[in-house]
Amino acid sequence: MEKSEIYELIIKIRDNRDEIAFSKLFDFLAPKLKAYFLQNKVTSENAEELTQEVLSTIWLKSYQYNSTKSAVSTWIYAIARNKKVDFYRKISGISHNEEDIREFLYENNKNDQIRENEIKEQVKKISNDLDSNQKKIIEMNFFENKSHKKIAQELEIPLGTVKSRIRNILLKMQKSL
Amino acid sequence: MNGTVVKNKLIFDFATGSLGPSKSIFTSTYLFLNSKASSINNTFEQLLGDDLFSNDDAKISNLKYNDCLSKPDEQKEEDSNTLSPISKLVGPLNDINWKQVYKGFSEFILNIKDDDELKLIKMEPGASVPLHSHGGKEYILVLSGSFSDEYGNYSKGDIQINDQKIKHTPIASDVEGCICLTITERDVIFFGKFGSFFNLFTFIKSFFK
Repeated sequence: MEKSEIYELIIKIRDNRDEIAFSKLFDFLAPKLKAYFLQNKVTSENAEELTQEVLSTIWLKSYQYNSTKSAVSTWIYAIARNKKVDFYRKISGISHNEEDIREFLYENNKNDQIRENEIKEQVKKISNDLDSNQKKIIEMNFFENKSHKKIAQELEIPLGTVKSRIRNILLKMQKSL
Repeated sequence: MNGTVVKNKLIFDFATGSLGPSKSIFTSTYLFLNSKASSINNTFEQLLGDDLFSNDDAKISNLKYNDCLSKPDEQKEEDSNTLSPISKLVGPLNDINWKQVYKGFSEFILNIKDDDELKLIKMEPGASVPLHSHGGKEYILVLSGSFSDEYGNYSKGDIQINDQKIKHTPIASDVEGCICLTITERDVIFFGKFGSFFNLFTFIKSFFK
């Protein structure tokens, strides 16, 4: 599904409480959200519960979505990420509620004057600059949350190399930002 | 790692949701006060959002779309949206029950269950902290006023990250003083067979910092 289609579904949900639009969004998103939680080492059962929570939040809080602030994928990602953080805080017995802080942060970021296109270009620039090895490491480190040690084992390269590569990637990102 | 890289790593870890509670509050306050940091976070979240949408599908076993059509929770009120994340936790900075450490320097430790200690520090106008270094890494975010040290001048929304190698003498602005949010990572303590040897070594080394 194209991003523009997802955007239209969100708008229909936001403005018309359109359940058919929501069921289409569900069919696209639920398997991807579940995959995200599984990647973050959540059990299959909990992953589905968290997926339900994210989609319920989208249904309830679609009025908060503002296209001038962020892309629809970014908005949804932030909701999923916050559910993941809260889930892990809950298991580790840390009870103070931080979700409100983060939602409020997202809501009030009047500083985001960078337009979506500019952000896209930055992201593209960063991705183009990275070679396939670096992309692999970024993926494993930041998207799969694998430890440096695990990456070193899987790619069969020394730990020091992994660390210095990640440092180089961050440097590169910093330069292009 | 140089300071900017450490900053970007902190923002990246916030974007991926892998920070502990103390650093998470610290970083959300940083993003609230600093528009450059906030736009870097946006870029990272954009990357991560694109990645989420390009995930391979996992098989859904029980969930149906109408399980997610929940009703709004009436009790939950919308919060007022003008305070920074840290002010939402501790209230107005002026009303805090500051504990004086020595003349011109007070602190308030936030009781957060985490390995990293989150605290607020307040320096009166012109106050200085004697030359010191750090056991663990220290993160400083200026909430109001400004301070300067051997490395530069820091005002509202700026952060400084210090590791063990850094020695500095911060001095608060003459006019407005300075209130900062700080994180101190706990010192590393060595246990086991050679533990006492390493601790002794660290102890001796601390005199040469």
